[in-house]
Amino acid sequence: MTRKTSLEGIESAPRWIVMFLGAYLVVDLLVFYLWSAAGQVFSIQGTTDSTSALSVTGMAAVDLWLCLVVLRSFPAGAPLRPAWMLFTLAAAARAASGVLAQLLGTNWLLNPLVWAGHARSGLIEQIRHCALIAGGPVRLALLAAAMLAVLRIMRRFGFWVRPSATDWAMSGIVGLFTLCRFGEAGAASLAGRPIGLENWISLAGLPILCVLFLEAMLLRQSVIRMGNGLLTRGWVALVCGILLTGAGEVALWVIPHYSQTLPLAMFGALIQLPIAAAFALVPAYQVAAQRRAIKPASSSPEGLAAGVPALAR
Amino acid sequence: MHPRGATLVAFCDAEGGVDRNRRIAKHLSKCEKCRNQLRRIQSEKDKLSAGAAIPAMDSKRGLAGMLSAITAWQGSPTSGAASELKGRLRRQIETYFGSPAVLAVERPGIRAEELLGKASQILEVFLGPNAAEAVRDDVFRGLDWAGPAGETRR
Repeated sequence: MTRKTSLEGIESAPRWIVMFLGAYLVVDLLVFYLWSAAGQVFSIQGTTDSTSALSVTGMAAVDLWLCLVVLRSFPAGAPLRPAWMLFTLAAAARAASGVLAQLLGTNWLLNPLVWAGHARSGLIEQIRHCALIAGGPVRLALLAAAMLAVLRIMRRFGFWVRPSATDWAMSGIVGLFTLCRFGEAGAASLAGRPIGLENWISLAGLPILCVLFLEAMLLRQSVIRMGNGLLTRGWVALVCGILLTGAGEVALWVIPHYSQTLPLAMFGALIQLPIAAAFALVPAYQVAAQRRAIKPASSSPEGLAAGVPALAR
Repeated sequence: MHPRGATLVAFCDAEGGVDRNRRIAKHLSKCEKCRNQLRRIQSEKDKLSAGAAIPAMDSKRGLAGMLSAITAWQGSPTSGAASELKGRLRRQIETYFGSPAVLAVERPGIRAEELLGKASQILEVFLGPNAAEAVRDDVFRGLDWAGPAGETRR
């Protein structure tokens, strides 16, 4: 039952995603090293105000496409179809957010709104806020609903495990972070300092992130109970994506409190692509498992599918 | 375009040329409808050849023989084919879910057809119906297995 490693076809999507992520991280870390070695004489540019970078938007588009492929394989009435529908909508929200923010939400030459003279009308700003809402609270809410559907199915098949102390502790950290962020915003409001709309949008996503984090911990336990199979790798990637999202939020809030010299924009960019890649790996592993099932190792070298009689082969 | 019935019959008999068979096999990998039709053709062929092979027998003796075969099969759930089937199902669950999942699905002393039902259900839910069906086909490939409903797979 051996099978050769191949980079052809949609079933190799997980390998491509991991390879792209690896190359991106190597380049990013190299730039960071050069920047540190050069005595920080040149500035490192990041994307503006937590909007998605082009690479992240591209990864979200890949995620959306793979989600659509998976969704097509679950007909109406299939127990996991609602979950995949929600994952697809979450991927669509992220992709739409990236496109809106990158194409229409910035003052750059290729933005058609800039040609039409809307640059100063506030429309671009509104589009950017819409992009932040779609990529933030809306996407997180869709993911939380999808996770709930997955956990219900896991429970039905006996893969349900009660959360351990570690799970509660991990979720508690994110809960504490949420409280700190709300406390900070409340204190700023009481002191008469204005809180930007972007901050409000970010704050709105935090309670959902807490729920999502707890769900991720439950899914982690269920995955441990399942084992390390082809299908479970996708769920592991989902857990990693959510953990990285939480860790990124916490790190981006904590770092400025301790260091003003670290390039936050670069750190943001460094964490965003692994998160997007982890979410893209969820449907990628699902597709890989499905393709493997349809083209079993015991089939002929041409990869003929099941159902071909032995006589004819 | 779906191949015609006669083409599928020729394909079943390994007739019609290598290239043509390869094209049909490629189509079959994507088309569930044609796979089902092929299965029907195959089972009809099997029935016909079984009917031709079995000599005419006394109906009472034939019925008694069938009943004793059913009793023997029910009394020995761990027959060669059944244990082979269980082993294959375990391997598939391990491949797609992992070794601990086998323990969750398989309880001690479970009958092969019960394990088949459970494995089919879990695969269908998590993998999707088409892929689960392909896994089932893979499990049954080359296995002499008479299911509880008298279904014979070879």
